[in-house]
Formats: sequence, structure tokens, C-alpha cells
Amino acid sequence: MEASGATTGVTRRDAPSLLLSHRARRRQRIAETLGRGLLLAVTSFSTLAVLFIFVYIARDAIPYFRQEGFREFFTSTRWYPSAKQPEFGALAMFVGSGLVTLGAILVAVPLGVSAAICLSDVLPFSVRQVVKPVIEILAAIPSVAYGFFALVVFAPLLQERGGPILAVAAGAVGVPVAGLAVIVAADLLTDRLPDRARRRARALALAVLGTGACVVLVLAVRSLYGLVIPSGTNALNVSIILGIMALPTVVSVSEDALQAVGRDLREGSYALGATRAETLVRTVLPAASSGILAAVILGVMRAVGETMVVWMASGNASQIPRPWYNILQPVRTLTATIAGDMGEADQVTGSARFHVLFAMALALLLFSFLCNTSSEWIIRRARKKVGG
Amino acid sequence: MRLQTRKVLDRAFAGSGIMAIALMVLALVILLAPMFVRGAGAIFFTGTVEHRRIMLEKFERGDRAAVEAEDRAARTAREPVYRDLAAFEKSLAEGDAATRRKYGKPLHDLKKAIHTLLGPAPDEVRPMLMRDQYGQARWDRAQVKLAQVLYREDWDYSDPTRAGIKRLKPRAADFVGTPIEGLFSYVERNLDKMLLPRRTVYWQFLTDDSYDSHFFGGIWPELLGTFYLTVGALLFAVPMGLIAAIYLTEYAPDNRWTRLLRTCISTLAGVPSIVFGLFGLAFFINTIHVSESKSVLAGSMTLALMVLPTVIRAAEEAIRAVPATFKEAALSLGAGRWHAVRSVILPAALPGILTGIVISMGRAAGETAPIIFTAAVSVGKPLALWQTLTQATPALSWNIFNLATEHEAVDEIRHVQYGMVLVLVSLVLILNLAAIVLRARIARRMRA
Repeated sequence: MEASGATTGVTRRDAPSLLLSHRARRRQRIAETLGRGLLLAVTSFSTLAVLFIFVYIARDAIPYFRQEGFREFFTSTRWYPSAKQPEFGALAMFVGSGLVTLGAILVAVPLGVSAAICLSDVLPFSVRQVVKPVIEILAAIPSVAYGFFALVVFAPLLQERGGPILAVAAGAVGVPVAGLAVIVAADLLTDRLPDRARRRARALALAVLGTGACVVLVLAVRSLYGLVIPSGTNALNVSIILGIMALPTVVSVSEDALQAVGRDLREGSYALGATRAETLVRTVLPAASSGILAAVILGVMRAVGETMVVWMASGNASQIPRPWYNILQPVRTLTATIAGDMGEADQVTGSARFHVLFAMALALLLFSFLCNTSSEWIIRRARKKVGG
Repeated sequence: MRLQTRKVLDRAFAGSGIMAIALMVLALVILLAPMFVRGAGAIFFTGTVEHRRIMLEKFERGDRAAVEAEDRAARTAREPVYRDLAAFEKSLAEGDAATRRKYGKPLHDLKKAIHTLLGPAPDEVRPMLMRDQYGQARWDRAQVKLAQVLYREDWDYSDPTRAGIKRLKPRAADFVGTPIEGLFSYVERNLDKMLLPRRTVYWQFLTDDSYDSHFFGGIWPELLGTFYLTVGALLFAVPMGLIAAIYLTEYAPDNRWTRLLRTCISTLAGVPSIVFGLFGLAFFINTIHVSESKSVLAGSMTLALMVLPTVIRAAEEAIRAVPATFKEAALSLGAGRWHAVRSVILPAALPGILTGIVISMGRAAGETAPIIFTAAVSVGKPLALWQTLTQATPALSWNIFNLATEHEAVDEIRHVQYGMVLVLVSLVLILNLAAIVLRARIARRMRA
């Protein structure tokens, strides 16, 4: 009996120790089952915390909607929570959150994706080993330190020398882009011409387009140079800082996506005579597009959920900028409103003023849940596609 | 397109990527440089005799005889200032009402400026606030205050279409022909004799209590609070995260429940930090009452929840990275599954798990939003260990925000703010560098 138990025990994967009595083995098996149950219980408990979060945020958000309804919250921009006739219009906060997130994405995505391309396809391994820690450190710096920088260093700089800074930045980006655009356009325009006329036509096109681009650039830079920024704590400031904060996420997720695209696709493209840029843009990027989309979504999540930077440096003015894309005006976001207003609402737990902040948190929570789920879905689908 | 154009485009493409990376590195440098340079100014600066007096009187540091001698020397140098002022006041009291009215306000402002620079006059009653009991403790601040003694702000509203323009006017011009006419040049020339600036290394900045809402002293309560919160968060997060990781990698069957658990973990990772704060308030404090109101305990639990996904993921990855042969060898020697996990897999995965823990630690230390409603107060004494169960604490991250935005004299205590930022950032950087080094060692071992 014992011998047979031992032999089966050896062949089984989770075998209890050899040569035990029947009772000892049963005890061991019970202990194993119990232990397993305990592990499952702890795991479930800790992971189901997220459900708790949903329940408890919703539980405190519902009283607001029950008292005040949905309409004002989503459609009004009048935010006077402490007035005698309180008004809780949160539209300006939604727009503010959206605006700074849009700005952050405009900063983070071009930079992040081109950095990711460079890391995965251009730079040698040794350089990559140096750049990786830089990205990690950018991700690790606490948000309050970013906020402090935005408020104490960047905001005064923008206020005093905002025009020249923007002008230099626009020039630095604009000149190479315009140069390339002119060359490509001249090429495309003269492609069809017969050989003899082409060279002259090309020179002409280059001259005309180049002059035009120069004029446009000079005008743009000059108007930027004269720009006066009334306050350094505005949506532009926050957008840039949030963009830098979202960079590490965008870079690492899109680099993973680019690396997941196999060598064979790249080599096939090279074999057809494509340059590296053409391979990347026409073959690798489309193949990795879903992963990069996931990276963008994760970057959006990071920017929407960020509190300290926007609280410190966005100006906290509950208004929709006029026109809506004017990022030189101060804005106010959902996160900053929750953080800033809870201090005053705290004493009167139970009032609409307290619960409206939970309503905002619920909106944030649902948004991040949506983003998370969709990015996971996209990544899973992409993996299946690449794998299959 | 011509081949040449294609080549140009190719090069520009690679160049744009390199530019992006260069910009990223540049952003990091621009971000960290002011923090390190000005943050160091909280510890290394030129201190005046007032600083040394504070050290002696509040912390009993330094050589009493030497400081008192310095104080006497400084007082001797200041004497002419107060003598001139007294003489002028006396002549005003004896003079006619019109003169008194003419010089009343300028004189009052001047005396206030001098008070801020040098501290209370010898015959003055000891003021209530500590910031009024001493002159400027730092030489860089003393320079600013000196300018305020020498010049007064004057606003020019002559152009009604624009905002007023600030002009600085020398105060000396207000007092031409009075006994204190020479006072200004005397103060300007002899400020170093009145304040006796000297290179100072104030490393106790890290371990001193703060006085008079951070005007003087150090950041010990904040540092200790951050330490408590971080360690507390890990005490909750590490055991739970580790168990979850072991279960998910070694035991979990591939069924719907496991998939739900995984979705929950990734959702938890995406919850905005401020929502964690609200949840901590609504659940830990208002529902299960772990403490009456804000406490380190409630804050730690909230932070633990926030870093839990990081811990789980890192531990899972580390456990998965252990070669399957290790486990198979253990099992073939007759070890049970739990035995194999405990004696073979966990030790082998330990460096990887530690990396994850260290990174989570950095995150917990730096996060602000979750502790705003659950643990942080602006001003407080350092807590004893048992007080953490019931009391709120100052913390570096929260106080950086608080001092930079809500403090009554933001500009006066920039050095403290920068000092706090420096301490927090270096803390996080050290933790992350440790993680990077750990990871490099693991990689080397794996390759070997």
C-alpha cells in the first residue's frame, strides 16, 4: 500500500514527500488545499479592492445626482459650490482636463514615438542601455516635484520670456520641417516632367517654395516673439510638463510594440529597396499601430489622472478658455478641483458639495477604466495578430 | 522621388528620433538642475550671526562664548543705526506737527525694514513670532532685505491704459537733511559687520524640527512622516502582493475567475491617484474607521492599495523568470509545491522581487494625492511610532505643495521648499538607482 502510494507520488507533479503514512499524506493534502484556499482568498481580497473602490466612490457620488440631477453637472460652467444657492456646473473642469490632456498628448506622442523608433531601430545597444535609465528616472520623479518645477521655475520663465521661448521652439521645429517639406514638395511636383526640364523646374520650385516657407516661418516666429503671456500658470505650462511626465509611458509601451514586429517584416521591406525610414513608416509603424495606440491611451490616462502638477500650475480658473483652444489661459481640471475643494467640503460630509467631488472622481474612474480596458483589448488583439 | 531626397528623408527621420531622445535627456537635466543647485542651498549657505544665535538658543549648538562675542560685535556695529534713529525720533518729537506728519510714515516703514533685516532693536519688547525675534539668518536673504531698506517700491500709474509700473526709489531721498541721512550708506557699507556672514554647513536641516512654520529649522517631521507612510504602505502591500503573485503564477488555474482577478489588477493600476485618496477617505476613515480622522495608518493603507499592482507585477515577473528546471528539480526531489515555492523559487526570484519593492517604495514616498485626505497635515511635530495609528503627519510631498502654494510667506522660505524637493527627489532617485543596479546584477547572473 505504502509502496504503491510512493510510486504514484513520484510520478505526480505536486507529490508530497515520499514514504509517509496514509494519514500523514491525507493531512498534507488537506493542508495543501487549505493553503491554496488561503492564497486564493488573499489574492482575491487584494485584487477585488478595485471593485471596492468603484462601490465606495459611486456610493458617495449617487447622493449628489439624486439631489441635483445630471443636467447642471455636465452642461453648466457655473461652479459656485459655496454660494447660498450653490451651483455645481463642472463642464469647465471637463473641458480643462481635456484641454491639458490634449496638449500633453501633442507633446508626448510625437516625441515619444520617435524616441521609441530610435531606441528600437536606430541606436546601438550600448546607447540604449544609457537612455533606458533616463526614461526610468523621468517616470520616477514624484509628481509634486514636477509641479514644483512648473510653478516655481517654469511659470515665471513663461511669464517673463514666454514669447521668445515659444519663438525659438517654433523656429527649431519649423525650420527643419519646412526644409524637408519644401524638398519633398519640389520633388513630387517635378517628378512627372521630362528629364531635361526637370532639373531647372526643380530649382525653380525649390526657390519659390523655399522663399514662401521662409516668409511664413519668419512671420510666425515674429508674431510668437511679440506674444505676451499674462500669467505663467496656464494650460500651456501644464501641457508641457504633463507631456514630459507621460513620455516614459508612451516610449516604453510603443517600443515594446515596435519590437514585437518581427525582423522578417523589416527585412522583407529592405529587400524591396526601401530605406530605413520608409521601412519604419510604411511597414513597421502600421504593423505596430495598435500597440502605439495603446501607448497613447496609457499616456492619456497618465495625463488625465495627474493631480499635483495641474493643481499647482494650471491657474485653477473655472472657465472655458476663449477660444476653447487658447492654451495661454488658466484652466481648472477635475483632479485639481477634487484636491482643492475637499478641504472646504470636508466638514460638511453629506452635503451636495461633498458628494459632487465624488461624482467627479466617479467620472475619472470610469474614464480610466474605459481607457484601461480598451488598451488591454487592443494589446491582446495585436498580440494575437502578430502571433498568428 | 529622387534617391537623394529619399536619403535626406531617411537621415532626417533618424535625426528626429535622436533629437527626441536628446530633448528627453535635456528635459531631465533642466528639471533636476535647479532642484539640486538650489536645494543644496538649504544645507550649504552663507549664514549670518543670527543663524548662529538661533542654533545656540533653540538647539544649543555651537560655542556659547564665541557666538555671544560675535553677537556683541554685531550689536556694536549696529549701534550707530539705532542711535541715529533715536536722535531723529527725538528731534521729531520736539519739532512741529507738520514735520512729524511728513516723516511719520516713511520713518515707520524704514524702521520696519530695518527690523526685518537686523531683528528687533535693543530697547524693543521681545516680539511674539520667532521670525520677528531674529534678523535675517541667511546672507542671500539679507541682501534682498537690504535692498528693501535702501529702496522703497513706488508704483507709476501715469499711463492709465497699462498696469502700474514698479519703480524703486531710494529711501535716502525721503530723509534729506535729517539726522538719519547718513544711515543708509552706513548700513550698506557695514552690513557684513552687522551680520557677520560666514560659510555654513547646516546638515542638521535634515534632522531638525521646524520652527515658526518653516521659517527656521529643518524638515525632520516631514522626513519622518514620509518614512512612516512609505514603510507602512510596504508593510501592507508587500505580503499581499507577494501572495497574490505566488498564487497567480504557481496555483491559479486558467479560468474565468483568474482572468477577472487579472483585469482587476490592471484596472487598479490605472486608477488616478486622487481617486485613491477619495477612496481612502470614504472607506478607511468614514466607513471602517481605522482612525478618527486622518492618520498615518489610513494613509499607509491607501498608498498600499496604490502600489499593490506594481508589487504584484514585479513579483510575478520575477517568479516567472526563474527557470522551470529549478522547480522541476525541487519537485523531483520530493518537495511539495509549497515547499518548492518557499525553498527554491522565492529565493531565486528574490532580487527581482526586491527591485519591484524598491520601485514601489519610491512611488509611495513621492505620491501626494492619496495622502491629502487620509494622512497629511501642514504643520506637526514628529510622531512617535505608536502615534502613527491615530495621528496625521506632515510629509515631504505634501509639504512641498503646501509651502510652495499655501504658505503665508512663500518667497521667504524658497530655500526650505527647494531643500525638501531635493531630499524627496534624491530619495526617489537613490531607490530607483538601487533598482537599476539590482536589475543589472540579475541580468548578469542570468547570462552567466
